[in-house]
Amino acid sequence: MAVVETINLRKVYMLGKVPVEALRGVNLKVEEGEFLSVLGPSGSGKSTLLNLIGALDKPTDGKVFVDGVDVSTLNENELASLRRKIGFVFQFFNLIPRFTALENVELPMAIASVGKGERRRRAAELLETVGLADRMNHKPTELSGGEQQRVAIARALTNNPRFLLMDEPTGNIDSKNAMEIMRLVKRLNEEKGVTIIMVTHDQRLAKETRRTVHMLDGLIVDETVNKP
Amino acid sequence: MKPTDILAYAFSAIKLRKLRAALTTLGVVIGIAAIVALLSITQGLQVAIASQLQKGFATDTLIVTAGRADSGFSLLVDDTRIISQIENVTTALAIIQRVGYVKNADGQARRVTIVGVDFKAYKEVYSSTFIAEGGTEIPSNPENTAVVVGKRVSDPWGNGTIFCKAGDTVEILWTNTTARPLRNETYTGNVVAVLQEVGGFSIGGPSDTSIYISIMQAQSFFGTDKCEMIIVKLKSNDKTTIESTAKAIRSLFGGQVTVTSATAVLNTISSVFSTIELFLAGIAAISLLVAGIGIMNIMIVSLMERTREIGILKALGMKNHTVLLIFLTEAAFIGLMGALIGVGTGWALAELVVRIFSANGGVGFGVRQGGQAALAGGIAITPVLTPTVLLGAIAFGLLVSVVFALYPAWRASRLKPVEALRYE
Repeated sequence: MAVVETINLRKVYMLGKVPVEALRGVNLKVEEGEFLSVLGPSGSGKSTLLNLIGALDKPTDGKVFVDGVDVSTLNENELASLRRKIGFVFQFFNLIPRFTALENVELPMAIASVGKGERRRRAAELLETVGLADRMNHKPTELSGGEQQRVAIARALTNNPRFLLMDEPTGNIDSKNAMEIMRLVKRLNEEKGVTIIMVTHDQRLAKETRRTVHMLDGLIVDETVNKP
Repeated sequence: MKPTDILAYAFSAIKLRKLRAALTTLGVVIGIAAIVALLSITQGLQVAIASQLQKGFATDTLIVTAGRADSGFSLLVDDTRIISQIENVTTALAIIQRVGYVKNADGQARRVTIVGVDFKAYKEVYSSTFIAEGGTEIPSNPENTAVVVGKRVSDPWGNGTIFCKAGDTVEILWTNTTARPLRNETYTGNVVAVLQEVGGFSIGGPSDTSIYISIMQAQSFFGTDKCEMIIVKLKSNDKTTIESTAKAIRSLFGGQVTVTSATAVLNTISSVFSTIELFLAGIAAISLLVAGIGIMNIMIVSLMERTREIGILKALGMKNHTVLLIFLTEAAFIGLMGALIGVGTGWALAELVVRIFSANGGVGFGVRQGGQAALAGGIAITPVLTPTVLLGAIAFGLLVSVVFALYPAWRASRLKPVEALRYE
């Protein structure tokens, strides 16, 4: 069974009074353990697709299945529970500025009612995995962009997610650090078998993944398998 | 999310905006402090007055006075005889009183109320206030010249400068207004006793600014058989006894008299105080409402500032009701802090106000008595903070804070994650 499947997914936004078709019928299937990139220019609908897969938004038409469950049948509480099984990594990191790296990584576990001791232990372990063992007690403002994104990745991994959703994860990081983030993400996929869906407009990054779907004007127009 | 984590999260958000939280808390502090201060002072005043009245009133008495001034009816001293025969009446005593002067050996004069009563019966009815100071005694069968003086007649300034004391000879003076031309009547009396301080005021009961002479002497000195009032002591102070006896007395005099029950007066006074209390609490509550609007205001600002944060929390799987709880907890924390500090501040304020007034010679409660203001010996107030007011104020502060936070909290909980995350 596919981890994620979309069927004829459509999304229409109202931009003021003008309807904008962001997605015009997207069919996509992501299998367990995959490392997929969604490549397309800005405005192609790739972020919209990511938001729908992540249950952050509702489709105008069509269906999203996560682990075989039709997301449209879920109520607000069930959607919140579903999101705990999804790891989000955003372009602008979206860390809580007043919390330290450790506290930020703990947050999803606190939301999921994990006990304090267990939470702290696991957060420390994850920060070590992403190479930030010595920066745990720093606040986001005291960390570089690359470091902040590592914290965000550690945070996304806390609840053992079914898959990671990454929206331009290196879009706000210098190229040297961007390559390191990509290495970390690849390692997570290869060594820990984490399913990853990454949205990017950067062809070089897309080439690092195993499969790329190309989007244009709200449709998937091409699909390529990248050689390692 | 666990309650302790919700609490910790809410607290971390408050800590981030310390000044703003402090100012909002101040709003609640002022509201609660106003309520507590006003209520504890009024309740203190009520307690002080009620205790004074109970002392000076005797709850088992009725006061009979002539009804309408233009009816030509007057109560006679001898009317006590027929009143005594009514069921449930133990004693009836007549009071004659005139405004006059008392002159001491040095020739100084003081304006006083001269009261003629049967000492024995008066002692019986006002057993807790018609008491002499140590060393002196009120005679039950006084000589015609015997005079008992109130504390403020003996020691007018309350500082030990004595105007007259037991054993002194004083001249008592009254201007006879029935004679033509007006004539000053005088006689020389002996001070046999000084009353203990009564404080406050009373109706019919002993007062600090009066002097007391025997009823016989009063009748001959004032040249009258009429009296101003008759005090009736009853067998019990229950409502039915008071009402039935009052009715019997009224019908005895064909409705020409007014019968006042001390208990009824007490009840009236206490109901007046309840109204005053409610009124003051209402005013104070308005200031708390203003504080509530302040809370709502900063919660809405906070909601806007934290829209993105709420988006993150929702993306991380936080449920709507948890977001709601976090916002309500923040408001509740501010409300609780404000209420606790407010109760303390209000209490301190009440103490301060009472002390400032006391320093100026007691809370000004000048009750006119027999044409003369009872200036000395004002009522000492101790602010009263009942558990009801204490807990009520805290609960009210908390309630107002939470109620006004409901709308912003609800809005926060309803934010759509994708829109919240996009918010700059």
